[in-house]
Amino acid sequence: MAWTSRERVLAAVNHEQPDRVAIDLGGSGASSIVIDAYDRLKHHLGLEHETTVMSRLNHLAQPDESVLRRFGVDTRPISARGRRGGSGRWVDELTFIDHFGVTFKGTTGTDDKHFLYKDGPLHGGELTEDRIDAMAWPDPDDPSMTDGIKDQVARYKAAGDYCLVLNVPDQVIHRAYALRGMTDFLKDFYRAPEAACYLMDRLADYNIRASENMIREAGAENIDVIFFGEDLGTQDGCMFDPDATYGRLIKPRHERIIQTLKSLTGGKSLFHCCGSAYLFLDHLIDIGVDILNPVQVNAKNMEPERLKGEFGDRLAFWGGIDTQDLLPHQSADAVRAEAERCIEIFGKQGGYILNAVHNIQFEVPPENIVAMYDAGVNHRYR
Amino acid sequence: MAVEDIFDAVLAYQDDEIGALTQAEIDAGTDVRMILDDGLIAALDLVGEKFSMGTLFVPEMLLAADAVQAGLEVLRPLLVDTGFQPIGTVVLGTVKGDLHDIGKNLVGMMLEGAGFRVIDLGTDVDPARFIDVAQENEADLIAVSGLLTTSMPEIERAVAAVHDANRSRNLNVKVMVGGPPVNQLFADRIGADGYGLDAPAAVERARQLVA
Repeated sequence: MAWTSRERVLAAVNHEQPDRVAIDLGGSGASSIVIDAYDRLKHHLGLEHETTVMSRLNHLAQPDESVLRRFGVDTRPISARGRRGGSGRWVDELTFIDHFGVTFKGTTGTDDKHFLYKDGPLHGGELTEDRIDAMAWPDPDDPSMTDGIKDQVARYKAAGDYCLVLNVPDQVIHRAYALRGMTDFLKDFYRAPEAACYLMDRLADYNIRASENMIREAGAENIDVIFFGEDLGTQDGCMFDPDATYGRLIKPRHERIIQTLKSLTGGKSLFHCCGSAYLFLDHLIDIGVDILNPVQVNAKNMEPERLKGEFGDRLAFWGGIDTQDLLPHQSADAVRAEAERCIEIFGKQGGYILNAVHNIQFEVPPENIVAMYDAGVNHRYR
Repeated sequence: MAVEDIFDAVLAYQDDEIGALTQAEIDAGTDVRMILDDGLIAALDLVGEKFSMGTLFVPEMLLAADAVQAGLEVLRPLLVDTGFQPIGTVVLGTVKGDLHDIGKNLVGMMLEGAGFRVIDLGTDVDPARFIDVAQENEADLIAVSGLLTTSMPEIERAVAAVHDANRSRNLNVKVMVGGPPVNQLFADRIGADGYGLDAPAAVERARQLVA
């Protein structure tokens, strides 16, 4: 009996050995590929087609079925249109105002385009509940959140038995950073903790409501994995206190989102956290997280052996192939060797889904992408 | 009343009280340099140490830096009167093509707290602008930052541009680099004069470079 993609991912998540390592590309908005790198990849593979944009703001491609099949990709995404849905508008080529009223500005003068929030409705002054209520909140029932999802799921189901990943359309802390400004929101944990918690509660409500609509369209039984998360770590430590700030203030909001969506679907929780997630992992396991992404192995305390050794019985790992040095700067042979090492360590008794650490970046050569995925395609559990 | 109260107020992030505490200390006749060195700078150094050790985090650093700023505002006119000179001038920014700035901002606040004059050019900064501003302000240091891996070639370009300008314009500006994808190996390879793993380490290196 051949394994289906869905069975393969779920076995891995349940810490059982499938036939080979499970593979992701584009299953989430944090495990895809930057458009330019994708264009070079498809030419390299001789797979000509028009590139579908997953997110213009993040400059991401939605990989074509032909590429996904070539790499044995086991996942398929269920996402709101434009990744987050909602009705934003382009002011000019470098300025976008999204459905929360947050202004994003793009970079100039370099080939690698990217956008970052620069202004929002809660910028400046003190954060208060009144200001939060007075803000023009987007409608989580906006049809753009669910537009096309039913057809998308039907297409996936007709094509094969894939692991379908619900992409929760927004975030809590990162959305708060965008609305308020990162520096000020980080200070609000001390200066205005009640208002900060109120904002996070409202954002949790928004995410739950919008996700419920998406789940209804997709069919709860079709959701295998729920992708949600935000960056708690930095390259060499924690963004904020794992216990006093995360555990006390942020965690209850994350828990509500994850628990609500897990109980609605029976899906597994895939939590995205860049940087050193190490000191947050007990908290994440505590709120029902089953899988960690993107597993930034070169951040502090994130070595594969350490993570697998300390958390491997409670967490599966999704990602792990370094994007800061290995994929952009090293040889295809080095990439292959490292992918094989990650499969060996993270994938012992299941527990691993092969993917780059975060989206494959602008400058990554196609040969290295092929080397990474071929290590997965050619892998067999003994 | 003592300089320790100012020190303690920084550690308690009391930016609304630090101005009054600093003023009271000045009124009591305490040496202005002592208030600065033993009160504000010593406290921020301790916060930086705790940050590097992983017992304090980004919010606490931001709040402590705010408190030091509030104290500096009261002290600054007096420091000018006493002929106090900043220990150096730093031109700071995120490289071309990159808009990330929280780490760069932390470095700026810490440098200012440590007694540097800081000129922050923001994000997406052209190499030529770093150099022009450094020249205009007779800066000792240019500090360039980036978060993206695609920023690494930009950081390299900026460092090369500083070295070129030192030769062609007869300047003597040192250049420091930082950011998540950057490490000492990379800094050495591209010929940067300094690198800091985190904001406190960057301040320490900047102090050495202007010493």
